[in-house]
Amino acid sequence: MILPIGPIHPALKEPLRLKLKTQGERVISAEIDYGYVHRGIERIMVGKTWQKSIYLAERVCGICSYIHTQTFAETFEKISDERAPLRAQYLRVLTNELDRIQSHLLANSTFFKAVEHETLFMYMLHLREPVMDAIELLTGNRVNMGWNVVGGVRMDVKDVHLQQIMTIMNKLEVEYQKYVEMYEQGPLMGLRSKKVGRMTKEEAIKARAVGPIGRASGLKHDLREDHHTYRDNLDFKVIWRKEGDTFARNMNRFDEIPQSISLIKQVIENLPEGDIRKKVEIGAGFGEWRNEAPRGEVTYMIETNGNLINNASIRTPSIMNIDACAKYMLKDVATVSDAIAAYASVDPCIACVERVVIVDEKGGEKQFQGIFDIK
Amino acid sequence: MLDALKDIIRKSSIHVCLVNSGGCNGCDIEVVALLSPRYDLEQYGIYVHNNPREADVILVTGAVTEQWKENLRRIYTKAPEPKIVVALGNCPISGDVFNQEGGCVNAPVSDFIPVDAEVSGCPPRPSEILEAILAVAPGAIAAKGRQKE
Amino acid sequence: MSSVIWYMYEFARKSWAEKFAGAKSEHDIVEKPDRFRDFPEVFKEYCIGCGACTAACPAPGAIKLVRDEDTTDMEGLTYPVIVMGACIRCGFCAEVCPTDPKTLTCGENHLIREEFTILPVDKMFVIDDYLCIRCKKCMKSCQVDAIHEEDNKILVDQKKCISCGDCLDACPVKGALKGIYISNIEEQKQIINLIVQTLEKTIEDRQEDLKKLSSDKIFKMEYPLVELKEKAINIIPKEEMVMDLMEKITDRLKMRIITWDEEKCTKCRLCVEECPSGAITYNKETGVTRNPEKCLRCSTCHQTCPFGVAGYYLAKFLIDKNSDGEDVILITLKPSQLPVVD
Repeated sequence: MILPIGPIHPALKEPLRLKLKTQGERVISAEIDYGYVHRGIERIMVGKTWQKSIYLAERVCGICSYIHTQTFAETFEKISDERAPLRAQYLRVLTNELDRIQSHLLANSTFFKAVEHETLFMYMLHLREPVMDAIELLTGNRVNMGWNVVGGVRMDVKDVHLQQIMTIMNKLEVEYQKYVEMYEQGPLMGLRSKKVGRMTKEEAIKARAVGPIGRASGLKHDLREDHHTYRDNLDFKVIWRKEGDTFARNMNRFDEIPQSISLIKQVIENLPEGDIRKKVEIGAGFGEWRNEAPRGEVTYMIETNGNLINNASIRTPSIMNIDACAKYMLKDVATVSDAIAAYASVDPCIACVERVVIVDEKGGEKQFQGIFDIK
Repeated sequence: MLDALKDIIRKSSIHVCLVNSGGCNGCDIEVVALLSPRYDLEQYGIYVHNNPREADVILVTGAVTEQWKENLRRIYTKAPEPKIVVALGNCPISGDVFNQEGGCVNAPVSDFIPVDAEVSGCPPRPSEILEAILAVAPGAIAAKGRQKE
Repeated sequence: MSSVIWYMYEFARKSWAEKFAGAKSEHDIVEKPDRFRDFPEVFKEYCIGCGACTAACPAPGAIKLVRDEDTTDMEGLTYPVIVMGACIRCGFCAEVCPTDPKTLTCGENHLIREEFTILPVDKMFVIDDYLCIRCKKCMKSCQVDAIHEEDNKILVDQKKCISCGDCLDACPVKGALKGIYISNIEEQKQIINLIVQTLEKTIEDRQEDLKKLSSDKIFKMEYPLVELKEKAINIIPKEEMVMDLMEKITDRLKMRIITWDEEKCTKCRLCVEECPSGAITYNKETGVTRNPEKCLRCSTCHQTCPFGVAGYYLAKFLIDKNSDGEDVILITLKPSQLPVVD
């Protein structure tokens, strides 16, 4: 039978319909219905200046809102053939990593909620709150930060802020170890996550899985390696795993947190003096820029006439990951609850996904069914 | 007597259903942050779970997209009486930045279902959400319940 | 089993007792940091009513400019009002506010340095030095001191300009101060091309009347605006912008018209050699022909031709209302006074 889950369901935070094809308790395959959160952001951007559009880019997704503005700004910097001052680049790394920590903690907490482990769920959220405080302290808002502009960042950081963030990070580093142990060695959590929802490396390549989901399946690929700030100034190593199951995905996210903490510490210790913003004369033309969001790679393709945006296209990581989940992870899973756990481990972010409407030449608009639709 | 008893119980037991009808997720994660030990929503007797059939409060957090136009009404009818609807964030109140030329949203939510309370902000801080829910929910639920009976 | 042992161990360690005794609620639940961007605060008395905040606001309908009613003592204040349900708390309005001290404050955004507060303007204001009479009325009317004098020229500082348009109202000379739309450049080009081509075609259709015109008379005709406007609005769907553009084009446009009278042609082919762009060609079957698309309107053929085949006229335009009250483009045609080879 087909078991529909969603769009409003206790197991899901966001509107999405998951159709599980089941035989008894066993899940044979899955299908996903999108389209509940399509707002048409790319179309609204057309004919607007970047000053206004950057706030739209921020609202593509609320969880990883920061990286969207950074990529947007860096696309414009690429079109104009400029780069932000070094201090601004460092501050961008600082905020980006703070955002990554909170996003990973939230993603893992969602997984623990999905397997009904309330204790770890609460611990994760408890860890996350100081990070949110640090973000609010630095940028002025918890979620939509309004921190990036083309050519740098809005406000300079003060020594007080840096000290406070350092304290928060030191505390987080110590506290968080305990909870990783709880997950890694907890026998019950192992039963719910190890060898559940496996995806091999070949399947990950076929489904274009990115981010922690791809890395957990053995794809050693992190765009931060190629980003100029990380490459030239900071000590960074790609974290990856081979198992490709739910456990590996969660552990991969867990393992990235200490690295983010170390990056933040490097930034705070080596923060160069100088300007935080410079005036950029926006050139006309087309530009493309990729960045590593908490969930994988996000791409912005923008065409501008020097003042207004003519055309914008955004590619977010979740769409590939959710499709990879539906096609490869949710095939032949032992129970429905395991399927939900596997789905939650992908860290789905529906708000990112919804920018596509497929128009059939003959039949008019058609609902988007996933990336395998696009030929 | 029975009314008074019901009021007392309802005031301390509020079930919330979160409906994202086309937002950016920002308000949703702030609601999740409310569950954290720091804010601890459950100490006020508020329990968040996404099931409209047993909800007292429906939290709507999105500008209404095409697919939600009908579904929002359906969800509203499925919730048992007394129920109140709280529009959380700017999207359900005015459509936020999406309510411009080219956007596919049908804001505000009050065109589709009656809205009892509004929390503005993009997104509101958890403490603001908490204040708003606590200020409006217990009283409103009790009052609505009495009207119906 | 192992988890049970773990719980027993934790229980025996008694750390829970310490935590329970030392539990306290944290104070930072409602405290907002200094930088927190709350809804912008408005200080009415500083506002100059320029509308920079409304132009900059990324959320539709979040800021409204209102004006109090006039009292007997003083004029009513103009000031922005923040609509709570639409404001996204980005603080951009506080950033672009040009007053000192700022009318709008939001977090620490209003402290951002002035050179970076870039206002997303729609119009750029420039002064035509040729027409400017240096009365300095615009300097007095400017609320942000963006207009200054340099080397006996009046200049607009684009970094300071907030595009309020007050100077435009103050300027006594038509066309000396202009607000130019800097968006939709490609579409603007299309509209200009459309207008020029339509007008030229209209005039060339009336060639027969032009030929009868003696050299000291002028010829007047009208072209209805409605049709042209509809076509232009199809290209840019903003009526205000289209009208502004059309007025500016017709104000400055001087068109040179070449007419071609084949009956007078004796196929001497003098003009074929002279034409700089090769627009005039000869072949045995069709005779001497002129290709209007290649033609530069340089009037060389008009001056060369001994038989008066090529006529040369100057056209000027003005948007006005005709006797029926309809908007029309008035076209005035005058034969050129260029010397012709006899």
